[in-house]
Amino acid sequence: MIETFRLMRQVLAHPFSFYSDIQEPRRIRWIDGLIVIALVYLARMVSILLTGYAYETREPYEISYMHEMVWLIVPWLTWCIANWGVSAILDGEGKFKEVFVGSAYALVPYAVLIIPVTLLTNILALDESSIYTLLLNLTIGWSVWLMLVKIKIVHDFEPLKVVWITLLTLAGIAIIWFIGILMFGLINQLINFVLEIVQEVNFRR
Amino acid sequence: MNAFRKWVAGLTAFALLSVFGSGTVSAATPYEGYTYVKHGGDIHSTNGYLYEDSIDGYDLPTGAFNAPEDLFVADDDSIYIVDSGNSRVIHLDADGNYVGTIGDLEGDGMLNEPKGVFVTHDGMVYVADTKNQRIAIFDQQGKFVQQFGKPESPLLGETFSYSPSKLLVDKRGYMFVVSDGNTQGLIQIDPKGVFRGFYGANHIGFSWVRLFQKLVATEEQRAKIATVKPLEFSNAVLDSEGFIYTTTLGTDRNQLKRLSPVGVDTLPANKVYGDYFVSGDAPFSVPSFVDIVVDNDGIMTAVDLQTSKIFQYDKLGNFLFAFGGLGDQNGLFVQPSSIDQTSKGAIYVVDKGRNRIDIFKATPFAKLVQQASKYYVEGRYAEAEGLWQEVIRQNSHYELAYLAIGKAHYKAENYEDAMRYFKLAYSRADYSAAFKEFRKEFTREHFAMICVGLILLLIALRYVLPLLWRLAKKQWLKREASKALKGGVHGDRNLSSDATGTGTSV
Repeated sequence: MIETFRLMRQVLAHPFSFYSDIQEPRRIRWIDGLIVIALVYLARMVSILLTGYAYETREPYEISYMHEMVWLIVPWLTWCIANWGVSAILDGEGKFKEVFVGSAYALVPYAVLIIPVTLLTNILALDESSIYTLLLNLTIGWSVWLMLVKIKIVHDFEPLKVVWITLLTLAGIAIIWFIGILMFGLINQLINFVLEIVQEVNFRR
Repeated sequence: MNAFRKWVAGLTAFALLSVFGSGTVSAATPYEGYTYVKHGGDIHSTNGYLYEDSIDGYDLPTGAFNAPEDLFVADDDSIYIVDSGNSRVIHLDADGNYVGTIGDLEGDGMLNEPKGVFVTHDGMVYVADTKNQRIAIFDQQGKFVQQFGKPESPLLGETFSYSPSKLLVDKRGYMFVVSDGNTQGLIQIDPKGVFRGFYGANHIGFSWVRLFQKLVATEEQRAKIATVKPLEFSNAVLDSEGFIYTTTLGTDRNQLKRLSPVGVDTLPANKVYGDYFVSGDAPFSVPSFVDIVVDNDGIMTAVDLQTSKIFQYDKLGNFLFAFGGLGDQNGLFVQPSSIDQTSKGAIYVVDKGRNRIDIFKATPFAKLVQQASKYYVEGRYAEAEGLWQEVIRQNSHYELAYLAIGKAHYKAENYEDAMRYFKLAYSRADYSAAFKEFRKEFTREHFAMICVGLILLLIALRYVLPLLWRLAKKQWLKREASKALKGGVHGDRNLSSDATGTGTSV
């Protein structure tokens, strides 16, 4: 556990060395990635609870713990899969484990900073929201930057290729989601079809 | 459970007794009062207006009305009814007694299916004589005085068809005429009958689709696309301050407008009037307001033909009440066409489909809300507060009341209470404003404590946190060393560098 926190510290202070270090064998564990994602989720939920009234954009009944979790895990997981897949085709060096854990660690700035930034909403009025938006954007920007660093170092790419891979990854995510939704619809139809046949047979028995 | 059942039975018995036992109540109101809340749409509320009586002309010397189109309440509360199907204007006094008929005699004054009437302060009657394509003017006694035909101007265009349906006369004697099917605005005619331009026309907003069509479509394709015209006014009325209010057809927002002397809408932009969703065969239908009346306090009451309902708004466009609906019972309408209000607050609605005029009276609750809203609109929040408290006591769902009380507290510098009420009214912007003041006050009072707190926080961040970090790491290193003795971790070059590197940087 303490190892996980030490790595979190390193990714904030020395991202480049962090991402080269995680390529050492047995340096990281799958569980590290899951712990970080759990922390991000926790930080997000706490920040929702701590948001000042004036800054709330949703009513409490509109917020679902499950929904928030799905919207964190699904994009992150599809990003990992798409990024790993695209890089593997285009001569990337990264293993899936490195992508999986590395992407999770890229979200550490968000997990660490979102709570203090959200606390600000309790002492800021709405017309001072630019401070809050700036800090929030910086937090998210930091995470995005770490994602790019991850692609560059884990897969050992040129900067230009990093941009190209990022775009391809986003396209990959879109394709995965499209196919996922398509499969969901088709399987739904199939199940309904089978159920109806069973029903029909039952009626005529 | 048993006690509850007994209680319900008792309540039902009481309700039955109160409905059938008393002689004065003949039938329940056929419509249900409602109000809008930000979260939850429309919810039940106390009715603002109740049906009182009708005028149908059978007991008057005039006989029954036929498709009445318009109604005007003059300064002395006498009413002018435009009996369109019988081509006449009927004048009744404030108690509904017959005074006279205008335009039913042969000669220049003979009307032909008029649709609108306006009476000036000195009693001159202006009639929009639609089928005759003219404005006819009569004096107090109903004698024909003058007429103005189709206005002449190159601005009107060659294809202009004149069909005056509604009109108003401002204090200069200028006539503002609504001509059916004309989308260029109100037609201004001066006291000499000369066309003086259009007034307050609706504008066409920007549309991405149209821009795209313009860029992509060829000449022939463009010719086939229907031209977009500004929306048409259905009515125009004058209030006591000289503002002109209009109703617009064919849109779902800003259907009601208060036009300034230069023809600019002064009501809040992007307001939605009427029902948001109308149940029925269509999933969504756009309200079509056909008439509006404005009282001396700026409270607007408008007729929606789509739902056959009457909607009332305060001077800022906040929803107050809705009543009426489509149906045959007293209090519902078949086809409402016009509305006006007496100085005592009674509302007259012309039901063209049933050839009669229905009279509605405000309930005590409506009077309370209107009085409170009047103070609120004028910014006299402190005076309004007590009234709004009473409104909440009678109907705790009335969201406008919470907002108004919040403003009263804000003005009285009770910022904490203001924040509480703004929260109840779901008004985040107002809440934030009150919070800002509250924060100022709080900081001033607890300045020393805040400073001490900040210093403690800085110390904690600078010294205590790194100390804890070092302790934790020492523990971890110890464990790692013992692990290394047993076997160690391969290729852990980070371990040594970090132990020295970050250890000093902390």
